[in-house]
Amino acid sequence: MSYVDHAQSSYENVARHVPESLRVYLPILPVMTLVGVFILYPIAQAIYSSFFTKSLLQPDQAEFVGLANYVEIWTDPDIHQVLWNTAIWVTVGSLVAIVLGFLMGWLLDEKLPYTSVASAIVLIPWVLPRVVGASIWQFMFGGSQGIINELLVQIGIVDEYIVMLGSTELSLWPPIIGMIWRLAPLFALLTLTSLQGIDEHLYEAARMDGATPWEQFRYITIPMMKYNLAIGFLLMLIYNVRNFSMVWVMTKGGPGVSSSTLPVMIYRSAFVDFEVGFASALSVMLFVVLLVFSYYYIQFYDKVQGEMS
Amino acid sequence: MTTQDTDPTAEFRKNQSWLYDSKAGGYVRKTAIGLLTLLIGSFILFPLYWMVVTAFKTTSEIQQIPPTVFPNDFSFEGFRLVIESSIQAGGYAGVVQNLFGVTVTSAIDINLLGLVLSSLKVAVGAGVIAVVLGTGASYVLSRRDFRGKNLLMSLLLASLMFPGTAIMVPEWELISYLGLFNTHLALVLIYGAMTAPFVVWLMKGFFDDFPDSILEASRIDQCTPFETFWYVLVPMARNSLIASFIFAFLLAWNELVFALTLLDNSKFTVPPGLLTFVQGFNTQWNVVAAASIIVSIPVLAGLAYIQRYFVQGLTGGAIKG
Repeated sequence: MSYVDHAQSSYENVARHVPESLRVYLPILPVMTLVGVFILYPIAQAIYSSFFTKSLLQPDQAEFVGLANYVEIWTDPDIHQVLWNTAIWVTVGSLVAIVLGFLMGWLLDEKLPYTSVASAIVLIPWVLPRVVGASIWQFMFGGSQGIINELLVQIGIVDEYIVMLGSTELSLWPPIIGMIWRLAPLFALLTLTSLQGIDEHLYEAARMDGATPWEQFRYITIPMMKYNLAIGFLLMLIYNVRNFSMVWVMTKGGPGVSSSTLPVMIYRSAFVDFEVGFASALSVMLFVVLLVFSYYYIQFYDKVQGEMS
Repeated sequence: MTTQDTDPTAEFRKNQSWLYDSKAGGYVRKTAIGLLTLLIGSFILFPLYWMVVTAFKTTSEIQQIPPTVFPNDFSFEGFRLVIESSIQAGGYAGVVQNLFGVTVTSAIDINLLGLVLSSLKVAVGAGVIAVVLGTGASYVLSRRDFRGKNLLMSLLLASLMFPGTAIMVPEWELISYLGLFNTHLALVLIYGAMTAPFVVWLMKGFFDDFPDSILEASRIDQCTPFETFWYVLVPMARNSLIASFIFAFLLAWNELVFALTLLDNSKFTVPPGLLTFVQGFNTQWNVVAAASIIVSIPVLAGLAYIQRYFVQGLTGGAIKG
C-alpha cells in the first residue's frame, strides 16, 4: 500500500464519522488546532490575565482587579518614556527605512548588470539571524573599540570617543539605526518588484505626450505602486512596533528605560518584575495598536489582490 | 530613414532640463547615482564587512585604538577558538584525541556545534510541521467555498501579527502546563504554529493560480482527490513548497524570545546561545564574529536558493518578524 493510499484510507476512516457538510473543514482542522492552541489561546489568555494581579512566582494567587492594571499603566513612572521611545521607533525608524529602501529599490531597478546578485546581497541584513545583526551593531557602537566612534572623530563631529550605548540621551538611537539597516532592504525589495511590475509602455506613452521625468514619476510610478508601497509602509510600522531583539541585544532597554520600547517593557515587567497582570495589560495595549495596523494591512492586501487579478 | 531623428523620446528630451539634455548633465546624473549607490551600499555592507574582518583579527588587534580597517595579522584565532571550545563543550575531546592525537583544551565556553544542532532540530521540525499542515489547509481554502472561510483566513492572518513578547507569559504557562518546558518539541510546536498561517497564505496563492484543466485531466484519468493532490499538485508546487519550508526554517533559526524563555542553557538554540556569549564577561569579539559567520551560512544558503520566491512570499502576506 503506497503512502497515498494509506493517507487516503485513514482520511476516509476519519471522514466516515463526520457529516458530509463538515468534511471540508477536516484538512483545516490540524492547522487551526495548532494555531489555536499556541497562538490564539495565549492571546485570549493575555487579555484575560490583564484583569488580574498575578505574580509569575505565585501563579495560583491571582486576584481579580478589573481595570486596575490599565489604570496602573498610566501612573507608571516609566510609561511616558517608553511610549515616547516607541513612537520615535515607529516614526523615525519606519520613515528612514522607507526613504532609504525606496532609493535602494530604485537604484536596483536601473537595469544594471548584476541586479539579481545585488538584490540578494542587499537582502542579507534582513535574513541574517537577528542576534547576529544586533551583535554587529553593538560591537560597532561599543565604547572603547567601536568603529563608529572612530568614524565620528575622523569626520570631526566629535573630539573624543563617547559612550553611546550606556548614555541615557543617546542609547535609543543605535538600535534604531540597526533596525533601519535591517528593514530598508525589505522595503527595497518591495519597491524593486513593484517598479518591475509597471508596464514600460506607460512611460513611452507619457513621453510621447510630453511628460517630464518628474511628471512620469508623479503620475505613473507612484500611482502604480501605491498599494504595494502602502503594504510596505504598514509592514515597516508593524516590524518597528514589535521589535524586541535589536533593543534587547544592544542595550537591554537601558540604561534605566532610556532605550526601552513597549515589547521590552512587557518582557521586563513579566520576566524581571514577575508582574503578569501588568505585563498582560501592556500586551493588550500593543495588540490594539497592531490590530489597527493589521486591519489596514489586510484591506490594502485585498486591494492589491483585486487589482492584480 | 534613421530612427535617431524620428525618436519622439529624444525629441522631447531636448526640451527637458540640462540634466537629460547635455552630455555634462549625463555625467552629473551618473555621478549623483554613483555616489548615492556608494553611500547606501556602504551603509548596508559595511557592518557585514566589519563582522568578517573582525573574525580574522587577533584579540589584541581588536582592542587596539583606533581600530584597524583591515586586519594587520590575518589570523584564524576566532574560528579556532570556536571549533575547539565546541569540541570540548560537546564532549568530543576524547574522540578527537584518539583519532588525531591532538589534545583540545579551550578557555572559552561556547558550544556552537551543540547550538547549531539544536537549532537545526527545531527549525527542520517547525518547517516540516508548517508545510505539511499548511499545504493541506491552503488547498481547501483555495478550491472550496464554505461558511466561515473568511473568518478562518482573517484569524490566520491576525495570528501572524502578534509579537512574541506580548504572548510570552501565557505561552510560558501553557508550555509548563503541557510539561514541555525546556524541550525542543515546545519550540517546534510554537514555531510551527507561527509559520503555518504564513505557509497557508503562500500556498493559497499558488493554488489560486493553478489551472483547472490539469485537475480536470487527472479526474478524467480517474485519480482520487488524494492521488491528484500527491501526484499532480505536489510535484508542480515543489518550488512554492520549498520556499515555504525555507521561510519557516529561517524564522525558527532566528527566533530569540521564545527560545530564551522556554529553554535553559543546556538546550539553547543559536540565538539565545549567541546572546549569552555576547553578553558574557569580557566578550571576545573575534570569536563572536567567527561564530556569527558560521551560524549565518545556512541562512545565506537558504536565501540564495529562494531569492526569487521572496517577493512572491512577501506580497503574499508575509508578516513574520
